[in-house]
Amino acid sequence: MRSFFNICLWFLPALASAQARHVVSGTIRDKHSGETLIGASIVLAESPNIAAVSNAYGFYSISATPGHYTMVVSFSGYGSDSIALDLRKDTSISIGLETGVRQLQEAVVTAGRNNSVSKPLMGVQKLSINEIKDLPVLFGEKDILKTLQLLPGVQSAGDGNSGFFVRGGNTDQNLILLDEATVYNPSHLLGFFSTFNSDAIKDVTLYKGATPAEYGGRLSSVLDVKMNDGNNKEYHASGGIGLISSRLNIEGPIEKDKSSFIISARRTYADVFLKLSKDSSTNQNSLYFYDINAKANLRLSDRDHLFFSGYFGKDNLGFGNTFGIDYGNVTGTLRWNHIFNSRLFSNASLIYSKYNYDIRINSGNNNIGITSYIKDLHFKEDMQYYANAGNKMNFGIDVISHTTSPGVISASQTSSFNPLTLQNKHAVESAAYVSHDLSLFTRLNINYGLRAGAFTVMGPGSFYTYDKDGNARDTAVYSGGKVVKNYFNLEPRFSASYKLGNGSSFKLAYTRTTQNLHLLSNSTSSNPTDVWIPSSNNVRPEIADQVSAGYYRNFHDNQYEFSSEVYYRNMQHQIDYKNGAQLIANENVESQVVFGKGRAYGWELFFKKKYGKFNGWISYTLSRTERQFSEINKGSWFPANQDRTHNLSIVGIYKAGKKWTLSADFTYYSGNAVTWPSGKYEVNGQIAFLYTRRNTYRMPAYHRLDVGATLQGKKTKRFDSNWNFSIYNLYGRENPYSITFEQDPDNATRTRALQYALFRWVPSITYNFKF
Amino acid sequence: MRYSIFIVTALVCLCSCKKEVNLNLDDAGPHIVIEGAVTDAAGPYTVKINMSVNFKAENTFPPVSGGRVKISDNEGHSDSLIETSPGVYMTQTMTGKPGNTYMLSVQLGDTLYTAASTMPFPVPFDSITFRRAGAFGKKNIRAVPNFQDPPGVKNYYLFNEYLNGVLVTKDIFVFNDRLTDGKYITRDLRNTDDILHEGDSLEIAMYCIDEPIFNYFNQLDQSGGGGGAFNSAAAPANPVSNISNGALGYFSAHTIRERRTKVHIE
Repeated sequence: MRSFFNICLWFLPALASAQARHVVSGTIRDKHSGETLIGASIVLAESPNIAAVSNAYGFYSISATPGHYTMVVSFSGYGSDSIALDLRKDTSISIGLETGVRQLQEAVVTAGRNNSVSKPLMGVQKLSINEIKDLPVLFGEKDILKTLQLLPGVQSAGDGNSGFFVRGGNTDQNLILLDEATVYNPSHLLGFFSTFNSDAIKDVTLYKGATPAEYGGRLSSVLDVKMNDGNNKEYHASGGIGLISSRLNIEGPIEKDKSSFIISARRTYADVFLKLSKDSSTNQNSLYFYDINAKANLRLSDRDHLFFSGYFGKDNLGFGNTFGIDYGNVTGTLRWNHIFNSRLFSNASLIYSKYNYDIRINSGNNNIGITSYIKDLHFKEDMQYYANAGNKMNFGIDVISHTTSPGVISASQTSSFNPLTLQNKHAVESAAYVSHDLSLFTRLNINYGLRAGAFTVMGPGSFYTYDKDGNARDTAVYSGGKVVKNYFNLEPRFSASYKLGNGSSFKLAYTRTTQNLHLLSNSTSSNPTDVWIPSSNNVRPEIADQVSAGYYRNFHDNQYEFSSEVYYRNMQHQIDYKNGAQLIANENVESQVVFGKGRAYGWELFFKKKYGKFNGWISYTLSRTERQFSEINKGSWFPANQDRTHNLSIVGIYKAGKKWTLSADFTYYSGNAVTWPSGKYEVNGQIAFLYTRRNTYRMPAYHRLDVGATLQGKKTKRFDSNWNFSIYNLYGRENPYSITFEQDPDNATRTRALQYALFRWVPSITYNFKF
Repeated sequence: MRYSIFIVTALVCLCSCKKEVNLNLDDAGPHIVIEGAVTDAAGPYTVKINMSVNFKAENTFPPVSGGRVKISDNEGHSDSLIETSPGVYMTQTMTGKPGNTYMLSVQLGDTLYTAASTMPFPVPFDSITFRRAGAFGKKNIRAVPNFQDPPGVKNYYLFNEYLNGVLVTKDIFVFNDRLTDGKYITRDLRNTDDILHEGDSLEIAMYCIDEPIFNYFNQLDQSGGGGGAFNSAAAPANPVSNISNGALGYFSAHTIRERRTKVHIE
């Protein structure tokens, strides 16, 4: 590995152009809180082609030939700043931007807003917490995952659900990162809330398949969530009190201007209402979750910065003493930023992530407990080399040690169950990547890269091979540290943008992604007990190839943004389950799966008004996603469960004066593909349903309108508060959550279909404060 | 292991509204359904042959007459069944014996359907007890069959409840001993609805079935259908039958042990 770095470092200066250039570098921050700003733009007004964007730590680096320049720095939702620059040698300038103030004439500011058009990356959606704070939400709980579902190419996993599908992928094919740590179960309370407390979140970026080379491990998307660093100038507390949950956030300097901390916590208290019940069988039930985000950062020197961030979340559901489950994620990230020089930025990360569940059942003599976990230890080194304005390289390595415990059953002597420990599974996932951003002939920008990944299945353990009926045919026993199976995959990544002039561009991308951890879930809803299994001698890596093309245009001084993208994705080694598959506590779970192919294609349209009193967006997706398994529908292609032809979202936010902000969103999508019975027959005195083919029916279309209003309280220097009101599903549409079939209890001669709907007219009130 | 289903259902019940809907379902066309059994109780044993109907039709399933139905075993016995009423065929001489394998053949026109099933050895059925269990204030009475699972062999069980003499048709109860081998079993039979009340007469028939029949009923249990959440299988399908040539239904050789008691809570 050392030699790899040496070669890179030796090779890099050669990328810089021959003409003498000097570098300006530094960090861009919020002037008042000291929070670093991600994705702020830096432009030299005299030569607008020389532009840069601040990275995930607010760091920027820009180079130009010696001379006098005006450096313009701007960031969405902030004012811009211009700095007179006499460039004679490499210079370090850190910049603080003022919130919401505009000091400069629009013309200059817009130069910086243009990035989404000219950058070669495509299929990227960014959300800032500022943008989502006024939108109406279910139960008054701001939720980035639910807001993402209003963007093109992203679909909701169900009414009120935070699970999402990206471009025809399954929910487990999204890589969800919180400060670089993988979050294995991104939901609370069976999917109705996401694990992300929006108070703690700074930046959310979703890559819909055309993923940069530094990310890997999932097929369909990467959701990169970054936490706030905390105010390094003064102490603040903020929070919110809602009908079913409350939040508190405390931040402040550890050492002024140098280091800071932030702690955000929230808890739901639906169970408090249960406790109020006089009925003993109700008040012994519990139903809540809480989570804590904490982060601290420490500036060691101008060149070194340490960050520690952690997340702890827990859900608890219990029915008296007869049944209980708790589950949650824990993540921890320790990062060290080091600026080697004004061109070379490095970040090393040590990451821990764990998801576990713990079930307790007390039923008569049957006292049993079931536990399971997945645990990662992860080391990551990322380097960014800024050769010059149009020439940047990213490279790094990534090593993850995965341990999964698929299930341990503990049982009392009197229990009907035997204690059982399924063997742990070990694997090492490693990758090295390099990618290069290059501007060619002023109009053409390209990004090409390669990610070389290996997945090594390790002992100890017994590894089975199965015959086609799923019976274990052969067992191989490996001792600890022995390699059972190695998969090696090369993932080329390429994207290009061509500026057409007039603020518009055309882009093309090709990406290969692979996935070696697979979520076993044979139900449609998200279950805390779904188990991740690694690739093995029986389960091969999933592989996807995606090509996409798009047209982008910003107009009216970049007030409006329009994009149109088409994509086609081909997926290999997709997983489905045998009929009646037993996935829980099954040593031979790999014998329960079948493998097939997938394909997805679609057209996404997005139109957004970014600024002004009235802003919002319209997003429309026309798409298809299909699967093929030789065991299903006689091997012909069939629509995947999440296949929805039309997806439309309209979002509007209107600032009505100083006090009120009004908002509304409307969602429409076609029904999922589902399998319903066509006939029926009788066995064992019961009515059995007769199915013909997989997924030939459609759920009814889904649509819903939500409205919200925010009332700004009196704002003083010391205290700021607002009231947020919303109604989810304003016109009370009964959107079917599920449709089931049964014999009519009132009439034995007929069967009937029953539709269940969940949320109609759900009002909520939240009070938010900050001091 | 179906507790998670239970949670989702409980949560959803808190705020859901439910209504009957009229769906535009395709015609499935009639399919042959064969249901036959040989048991270790005295004969005669019955094979029923019917047709399936479309979902919207009434629950009357046209019988199929004129089949040539035969059951034989691995000891060389063979029995041609007599159609005693339309679609109902009875054995004349056959006696079921644990450990034997039984072969069914049904000739309907040009099509021959065959199946085989091996009768497991019986497991003594000790008693029925009851317990209350449930969530959110709904504590239903559940019946608990008590029996010793024989260690070291794979056992599969199917339970039928007869409440006041009437077969409970809403629920399917199948257990295997994958996680319970050799234990004294006291797992409750979890009814979907609150149907057991103190003083009712309850009879439970415990069948020891073979593995394909367990798989059949286990899959049948999961194929209730859905199209949404509730943890129903994402894609329900017809259970895999042990009968050849695409017939629906099953042919099972099993033992029967029965217990009867009044529903009571200690």
